[in-house]
Amino acid sequence: MDNVKKFEIEPQAVPKKKRKNASLDKKKARYGWFFVAPFLIGFFLIYLPMIFESIQFSFMDTSTIPGGGLARAWVGLDNYRYAFLENADFTRTLISSIKNLLFNIPAIVIFSLFMAVLLNQKMKGRALFRAIFFIPVIVSTGIIESIDLQNTLASTQATMSNFSDSTMQSSATAGQQIISLLDVQRFFSGMKVGQELVSYVLRIVNGVYEIVNKSGVQMLIFLAGLQSISPAIYESCKMEGASAWETFWKITFPMISPMILVNAIYTVIDSFTSQSNQVMKFIDGIYSQSKGMVRATAMSWVYFLVVIVILAIVAGLISAYVFYQRRD
Amino acid sequence: MDKAQETVKRDPSLMVFDEKTPLWVKIRYKYLTTYFLGKVVWVIFRLVLLIGISFVILFPYISKISGSFMSREDFVDVSVLLIPKHPTLDTYRAIINDNHYWESLFNTTTLSVLCGVVQMMICSIVGYGFAKFNFKFKKILFLCVIFTMIIPHQSIQMAMFMKFRYFDIWGIYGAIAKLFGSTAGTPAIASLLNTYWPLGILSFCGLAFKNGLFIFIMRQYYKGVPDELEEAAYVDGAGVFKTFVRIILPMSVPMMVTIFMFAFSWQWTDQFYSGLFFKDVTKIRLLTNIVSIPKSLDTEYAAKTVYETAIRNTCGLLILLPLIIVYLFAQRTLIEGVERSGITG
Repeated sequence: MDNVKKFEIEPQAVPKKKRKNASLDKKKARYGWFFVAPFLIGFFLIYLPMIFESIQFSFMDTSTIPGGGLARAWVGLDNYRYAFLENADFTRTLISSIKNLLFNIPAIVIFSLFMAVLLNQKMKGRALFRAIFFIPVIVSTGIIESIDLQNTLASTQATMSNFSDSTMQSSATAGQQIISLLDVQRFFSGMKVGQELVSYVLRIVNGVYEIVNKSGVQMLIFLAGLQSISPAIYESCKMEGASAWETFWKITFPMISPMILVNAIYTVIDSFTSQSNQVMKFIDGIYSQSKGMVRATAMSWVYFLVVIVILAIVAGLISAYVFYQRRD
Repeated sequence: MDKAQETVKRDPSLMVFDEKTPLWVKIRYKYLTTYFLGKVVWVIFRLVLLIGISFVILFPYISKISGSFMSREDFVDVSVLLIPKHPTLDTYRAIINDNHYWESLFNTTTLSVLCGVVQMMICSIVGYGFAKFNFKFKKILFLCVIFTMIIPHQSIQMAMFMKFRYFDIWGIYGAIAKLFGSTAGTPAIASLLNTYWPLGILSFCGLAFKNGLFIFIMRQYYKGVPDELEEAAYVDGAGVFKTFVRIILPMSVPMMVTIFMFAFSWQWTDQFYSGLFFKDVTKIRLLTNIVSIPKSLDTEYAAKTVYETAIRNTCGLLILLPLIIVYLFAQRTLIEGVERSGITG
């Protein structure tokens, strides 16, 4: 009898198993919530209220109450009106910063791609060069930037002094010492290229210090991307007799193009949110003035919208040309 | 001509010799070719370029270091460029004694290690959650991560300050306090300014500086980890958490070192948050507060600007020194970690 019963039960075992599978998925999903819980808690309890408050502040006028606390008064679009119409510098700074950025994106992306390809090759002292190239990532943010800034301010104040062109002051502008403008101009005038290109390259050469400093993380991302290209592809290229130049344009470049997109976006975000950005400095300056806190908030929201628009344009432009390797 | 021959023609060094080939033939085939010449030119070009750019990166530090050892006389001496004639440690001594260097070093180390470790753990946990589990709203939540990355922190500067000055969650505590007749303008649990709490809380929620990027990197890394690995652990009877702690975390150490290095060093040199949350220098003094001209150094003479610049640079060097030491130990793992990350589109 027992045997018969068991046989009767067995066909049911199949749907039971299926249900078990489904519940395993659900269980896993629940674990997923556990894992992302810290971010969720922070995002909904702290970040979103902050964003909400910040947007509110941009429509308000605030003043501190002597007893401790903050008095708020609704002023509508006043802060925004101030940003666009009353403050003469805001729009100007914004536009010039955007121009600067549009100039810098290609320079940084091309430079970091080039350096990543170089640093990816096998050679002696590669570890040393890599270590040196990533120093800016670690070092040249925040306080060091501001010290350099203080120094340039101090030295511009003291340009009357005879010692202004002595050793120390030039540390921030080391790039300009290395190659003089004239040399480059002479070098390029021999080639028959457009004047725009010449001035573009000139700007890159002049700002080489800045560009090197800014392209650290991008270089890391490109290196990671280069490592993920299968060596088998290069091997077959070599077998087919492709030169290094051909290999780069036919293999490396298309394979790395998703990275170019990532890097372009990262560059935009990074240079828009970095402390050294002109607009950021300008907003920081406004922040410490009277009534400045709300005005600075309003300005930075305007700025944020501009960033989003530019990000969308850049991402749209580049992603049209990105090649994705189909994976199984 | 078949392919093997063609390849040899391009790169004669691939030519196979037998033992009887005379030496000079070998040498001719190996070195006296355009291919070899091109290679040599490329190697030299590459070396020059790399050394040049390394120089651009290092030169400011070299000049800062040399300036930090100069004495007053060297700044007025035109013949002194990089190597001081009267080397002295006075600048260092003055900064360390007058600007509370050790105290700020201790505070900054505590804060940076705290932020680094917490952010490293939280970002790997959250990244793992986003990479390996399927739950509802996952895509929308991940968009939220990207969103925190894009918003410049200056936009929420004021709100962030207010949040931690009058710390409260959703205003719940405030509402309760008002019910019980609190008279304060903005009732709050506590003011968290001048403590480690604000940055601790931000790190713990994965909202601190560039944490969106860290979560993104970790997610990409964990996506590259094959599912079979975890399935094998599940079959052997490990739960999800045990698998994560025992299998996944040890595997991702290089990536985590990378995240730690970023978080640690960006916190170390950070000014934005330190300026926002640590206004009262007497309570917690951070390394960013030590940049000032020490009183014991007399700067009132001809080369004042240059001298003060050098002093400020020395402050910067003193701030960077511990960081550089940590970097030297971590750099190999850091670069390996990034290489393995497999960040792909």
